[in-house]
Amino acid sequence: MQFIENEEQEKKGFRWKMQQFLDKESVAGYVFSAPFIIGFLGFTLIPMAFSMYYSLTDYDMINAPTFVGMDNYTRLFTDARFLKSIRVTLVYVGISVPVKLIFALFIAYLLTRKVKGDTLYRSLFYVPSLIGGSIAVALVWKELFARLGLINALLNTIGLESINWFGAQDKAMIPLILSSAWQFGSAMIIFAAGLKEIPNTYYEAALIDGANKAQMFFKITLPLLSPIILFNLIMQTISAFMAFTQAFVITGGGPNDATNFYALYVYNHAFNFYNMGYASAMSWIMLLIIAFITFMILKFSKYWIFEEK
Amino acid sequence: MNKKKIKTFFYHAFLISFGFIMIYPVLWMITGSLRNNAEILSGNMSLIPENWRWENFANGWRGFGGVGFGTFFKNSFVITTVSTIGTVVSSACVAYAFSRIRFFGRNVLFVAMLLTMMLPGQVILIPQYIIYNQLGLVGTRIPLVLPHFFGQAFFIYQMMQFMVSIPRDLDESAYMDGCNKYTIFSKIIFPLLKPSIITTIIIQFYWKWDDFMGPLIYLNKPESYTVSIALKLFADAGSTTDYGAMFAMSTLSLIPVFLIFLFFNKYLIDGISTTGLKG
Amino acid sequence: MSLVACGNSDSSPDTASSGDTGTETGGEASGDQITLRMAWWGSQARHDGTVAVIELYESQNPNVDIQYEFFDFDGYFTKLNTLVASDSVWDVFQLGGNYPAYINNIHMLNEFIEDGTIDTSNTTQQFLDTTNADGDQVGISLGVNSYGIAYDPQMFADAGVEEPADNWTWGDFEAAAKQINAELGIFGSSIMDDFLAGASIGVGPDYNFFDADDQTKLGFDDPSLLVDYIRMRKELVDLGAFPDPGAAAEVTDIEGDFIVSGEAAMTWIATNQFPTLVDAAGRELKLASVPRRDHDDPFGLTLNSSQMFSIPTNSEHKEEAAKFINFFLNDEEANEILKGERGVPIMSTAREAIEASATDAMVEVLNYIDYVGSNANPELNNIENPNTAEITSQYELLLDQVIYDEITPEEAAQQIYEFAKNIIE
Repeated sequence: MQFIENEEQEKKGFRWKMQQFLDKESVAGYVFSAPFIIGFLGFTLIPMAFSMYYSLTDYDMINAPTFVGMDNYTRLFTDARFLKSIRVTLVYVGISVPVKLIFALFIAYLLTRKVKGDTLYRSLFYVPSLIGGSIAVALVWKELFARLGLINALLNTIGLESINWFGAQDKAMIPLILSSAWQFGSAMIIFAAGLKEIPNTYYEAALIDGANKAQMFFKITLPLLSPIILFNLIMQTISAFMAFTQAFVITGGGPNDATNFYALYVYNHAFNFYNMGYASAMSWIMLLIIAFITFMILKFSKYWIFEEK
Repeated sequence: MNKKKIKTFFYHAFLISFGFIMIYPVLWMITGSLRNNAEILSGNMSLIPENWRWENFANGWRGFGGVGFGTFFKNSFVITTVSTIGTVVSSACVAYAFSRIRFFGRNVLFVAMLLTMMLPGQVILIPQYIIYNQLGLVGTRIPLVLPHFFGQAFFIYQMMQFMVSIPRDLDESAYMDGCNKYTIFSKIIFPLLKPSIITTIIIQFYWKWDDFMGPLIYLNKPESYTVSIALKLFADAGSTTDYGAMFAMSTLSLIPVFLIFLFFNKYLIDGISTTGLKG
Repeated sequence: MSLVACGNSDSSPDTASSGDTGTETGGEASGDQITLRMAWWGSQARHDGTVAVIELYESQNPNVDIQYEFFDFDGYFTKLNTLVASDSVWDVFQLGGNYPAYINNIHMLNEFIEDGTIDTSNTTQQFLDTTNADGDQVGISLGVNSYGIAYDPQMFADAGVEEPADNWTWGDFEAAAKQINAELGIFGSSIMDDFLAGASIGVGPDYNFFDADDQTKLGFDDPSLLVDYIRMRKELVDLGAFPDPGAAAEVTDIEGDFIVSGEAAMTWIATNQFPTLVDAAGRELKLASVPRRDHDDPFGLTLNSSQMFSIPTNSEHKEEAAKFINFFLNDEEANEILKGERGVPIMSTAREAIEASATDAMVEVLNYIDYVGSNANPELNNIENPNTAEITSQYELLLDQVIYDEITPEEAAQQIYEFAKNIIE
């Protein structure tokens, strides 16, 4: 008996030790993040290293790369088209992201309560994001803002003159910004889910204390939603920096590079001009810029983020 | 009483008109599927087709070179569904690690994750392709689906932000009840992530559905093409474009992603237990 | 003498020549299962036609299985570049004028022509030269084209403008555009391929933009040769006789061209697109040659290959690929299916096959190609430089800047000259 008991205890001992081991913070952390680590090492890190290497070469993808050191980077700083594309992209990000987020939050908030037709409304506002990236819709957008398109027709009916959207350097970006803002659906869904997470009890308590709608929004909703707001802000900012399809299909970067988003410029150099090395260098510079802005946002977030203790 | 009625009226009026403006371009595209090239390009913005050209659907459906849209839809479905499942499961795991567990190197990994989103796909496209080519996986669906089982940065981060609002008291009381990290995840965190998981499903599904770069590079038989590639094949700057057929197929392509949204949206509206702060 | 595999009439005595069916030439290892990979770009009509030809070939050659892919233009080149980088290009692939960039990956076809695998007896050296670089046959053209100005004779008549003469000049063009605009209130001309018109061809018949022998040099050294076209473009836009950048952006493809919608009386066209243009416009259009600088200048055009099939160096089935290319080019049934959609076929037999059912527009194209072919200026360089895309993009940017009054035509000419010179070195 003693013998068997000891064996059982031993078995239990080993299993128990194993469990203790797995439950340690460090081990569990690695177990759970293993998918990301493996994926990152296998599918991302090596290509990233490659692209870093390419950025130091002259590489037309057809012949082997030739090492040129920092030439690509120095050329970037004198490349007027690149500098303009940074400026253009920053303007686009700076305007389209806030517009998009404000719409998304506003509509998500309007649709939190159960009202008749909220599924219908949610659908109406969400559908644009579903097909926003498609060619068909990009072409539709082009028709809308054409000289004889609907937007100008509407302007005319209220007595304003038609605008040559794609022909005016200062206005060509507007259709693109609107197209981006139009696709606020996914941000809206995320806000909606976040709003759902806020317990009704808080609102009920506030009502009892005599708070009005505005106070409840600013003192309860916004703070509790702040992690989600931060998330959407960062995600939309990063994806706005990557904006490509709309510019590619609708304006082609023009007129006179007024909508030459940097992702479009990278694509042109990589796949049309056979300058993969130069394109890679450009991407890394932009990565630095995006990373810098993202980390600034993160750093300042602690001033307005509310974390539940 | 009246004030409330007026408020409700304005509420709905606003939503309907704004909603209509939002949906107008989509409606125009749907209408375009019943028009021919001349009518589409004439700049006519009305939503009623002049002639109801249902043949656009037949023309579009037959696809290209003998491969029809039935095949394309099937391919898209398989790839998109498997990818979505992979994303949900793996991203939740990683998000749990990053937000609930303190371990050495966590911050470094988190930063690495953010960085992966900041490099445009085009520059890592070629190196990734070379790797898959060496592994002999080009021409299969594996390169399209596999990365999703290793977490997707966007959704990892999203789930992390949602986990912030799941109170840690739950973790602690579960610990005291004898749970370990793994069971906390499976029994508490994962179920409470429902809203986040649902948004992940909806968004990942349509992102994958619309993705054409991946299928373009890795698929090499027209029978394996997805809807996203097929839609692009209608338009070529150098030869004729059948806009009617393209709009028709784009309209059809919209239906699955929209249905996914409708189906899961129910869960977002109906009461989901928000905090589970039950005894 | 009904050859089972051919399946069509024996009207052409050339059906007895070698290589076009694959079942009668001796000496090949029949029965060896071979898989060929191939790809092309285009849209629905071309995809359907090409696949039909592939299936025809497979039915006649059961030991060959062809795995094909097709894409739109951008998708195709994205994928091609990826395959080039990983040394696994399709056994038969389509290329256009941008082939110089890929020259190191192309297996030259000279040997297949010499040994008869590819039958070139029905074409001329001139046509073969459209895809020949320094004696190397980089591919065989699937269709030749050239450039021209398509115009609406009725609109010209309505505006009281004479139809373009064979040797009309840019001055004539400018005057015509202005008068049409003044009389009819529409654009004199729709969009042009500005770089080709203003720089490549526009640099004059005595010079080539890119040096014909040395890819790292320009073929001219006087930037002022570029000024006139730029100045003309700006003037026409200012008058409303030519689309401004906003209007130009609205034209994404042939169907959307302004001549189709009746908003312009002329447009630049590549000849293989002319039938499509006429089809879309739904009325009679004619082809005029590209204007020259002076009335007695030599002809300024050559024939180009619109597209060709090439074989990559990494192919393991070069001979079978060559056989397939030969079939594609020479087989009459195949060409009846393809209808010359890629351009005017270079094989006379193929041309005859489509002539029978050619539309008026196609006849116009065939006549025009004959005209260009017989007048072509042999000094002209029709090879694209690998840096053409980047230079074209810069040229168009500078043109925009002139139109927006940011720089003068002279400055633009100087800048593009410097830019091009630096890039190609």
